[in-house]
Amino acid sequence: MEPFRFSYVNIGNTMLQQLTNLSDKDLISRARKLKDQEAEGVLLERYSHLMVAVCLPYLNTAPGTAADDVFPALLQRLSNSLKTQTIHKVNEWIHYNVKAIQDKSDRNLPFFSSTESREIQQVENRIEQAAMNQKEQQQLIAQMNVVISQLPAEEKYFLTQFYLEQQPLAQLAGAKKYSIDKTRQILKNAKQHMASILMKQTYEQ
Amino acid sequence: MSSNLENNDKILKIFSTVRCMNRDQLPRYLDGRLTDLEKHLLEQHLVDCDLCFDALQTLSQARYREQYQPLSVSISQYIRNSIRKVSTTQKVERYQRLEQKKESFLIYFWVVAAVAMGAGAVYLIQQQNRLRALTPSQPIAAVDKVMEPIPTSHSQPVAAPPAETAAAPAPRTVAPATAAIAAGPVADSLQRRPPATEVKVIPAVKKDTLKAAPATPKPAPSKDSARNPPPAEQKEEKSTLQPAKETPAPVADKVEKKETPPKKEKEKEKDDDDNKKTADAQPSGTDEFLYKAAMVYHQQGDLNEAISRYKHLADSKSKYGELSRYQLAVCYRSKGQTGKARRMFKEVVRMNGPMKEKAQSALDSL
Repeated sequence: MEPFRFSYVNIGNTMLQQLTNLSDKDLISRARKLKDQEAEGVLLERYSHLMVAVCLPYLNTAPGTAADDVFPALLQRLSNSLKTQTIHKVNEWIHYNVKAIQDKSDRNLPFFSSTESREIQQVENRIEQAAMNQKEQQQLIAQMNVVISQLPAEEKYFLTQFYLEQQPLAQLAGAKKYSIDKTRQILKNAKQHMASILMKQTYEQ
Repeated sequence: MSSNLENNDKILKIFSTVRCMNRDQLPRYLDGRLTDLEKHLLEQHLVDCDLCFDALQTLSQARYREQYQPLSVSISQYIRNSIRKVSTTQKVERYQRLEQKKESFLIYFWVVAAVAMGAGAVYLIQQQNRLRALTPSQPIAAVDKVMEPIPTSHSQPVAAPPAETAAAPAPRTVAPATAAIAAGPVADSLQRRPPATEVKVIPAVKKDTLKAAPATPKPAPSKDSARNPPPAEQKEEKSTLQPAKETPAPVADKVEKKETPPKKEKEKEKDDDDNKKTADAQPSGTDEFLYKAAMVYHQQGDLNEAISRYKHLADSKSKYGELSRYQLAVCYRSKGQTGKARRMFKEVVRMNGPMKEKAQSALDSL
């Protein structure tokens, strides 16, 4: 029977498992503050399949582009950007950089999250904080009900059907004879509209 | 009511955060192999996430789906490989940094240790020097105390100790030993004390001669040896006496013990002509010291003590004899004993020395 050998590979695997359980925010923090490249790698690997999927049309259509060139360049760009950019949502940051690689004109512009995105994120944070406080949660629910009633009828309908009645996206699109993309866009706009009203009310208070 | 509450809670889902689709969920969503709840959650996320929606849109096309799997695996492998490479180099760098830190710490430690040792050595040397500077004055006092009872023993020849001390260092140890035999209680203290050095012994010898001279006759061999103190010892004597001038009070005590009677000097002159010069030189140095010590008492206002000291010096043939007589006269005048003062001034005038004029003027003024 061979004795157990303690090796770097074992440490690496254990470390990777531990890092995999961390949230995006923690991984970014580790990569920045501790210069932990393993954390950076775990974060990029977490989204790598989506990068591949998004880049596939570009790899097939654009002339002189190969996966061996595009992905290392993309990963390097993301790695550099990670150390300098403020990243609230990793998916938005990766999507922006993938598009920037594909549209070479935007290459040098840094990533900034949009105002709408920041408003949505602020409301999301507020709801997360209210989860521990019943009274605050009730106040927030009442406020959201008021805001939904102020929205246009179509947006109100889609939000109610999708989030409250839990109708699938395809079914909702079929009921209105819209495409899934359009239905998604209506829902996205309705959500952004609602977030901006909520944040406006918060600032006015 | 309950459904109303549920609906109320569901409204919060509009802004609930859902993670992006993972490697497993993406194909399963496309294949419709998700539960209703899971599918709804992913669709909630799809509303916000352009990356996931674009990925789904692309993979819904069959030609991209074929390319997706191998590319996805290879990019994942590529990232893992680069992580491993990077982490290995990172760990090597960290190890090197640690080693460098350890080395630098050791260097600092040894530098600090060397500085501390140097400082310690300097401090020790300074202490040693200070002790050396202090030692000469202390043993003098010690020897004085020890030797004090010796004159009380009548059987001890008075001049013997000076002779022995002046001749060679070896007999010095004999002198205290004999004294110890003669004076019983003193013996203990003598034995306990460390042997005195040359410098320390000389004042003690003088004290003996001073106190014992009028009491007992001096044997001849001791006189000879006493008359010939080596010049080196004289120098040392001066050097030890020099600091005493600055501190009058303790010196005065020593002076009392160190005075030499004039008779002894006269006898010395008669005995040996060859040693006359050295014999004259010695009392002049001692006289100077004794005169200055008396002056100190005079200045302090202790006229009786000053008079007694001046009296000791009055018989001296050196210039200090004349000076002492003059000062003695001044002391008498200060005390109001004008008769004695007049007589002493007259003696000074008769001596026809450098103080004659002053003495005459003092006489006139009396």
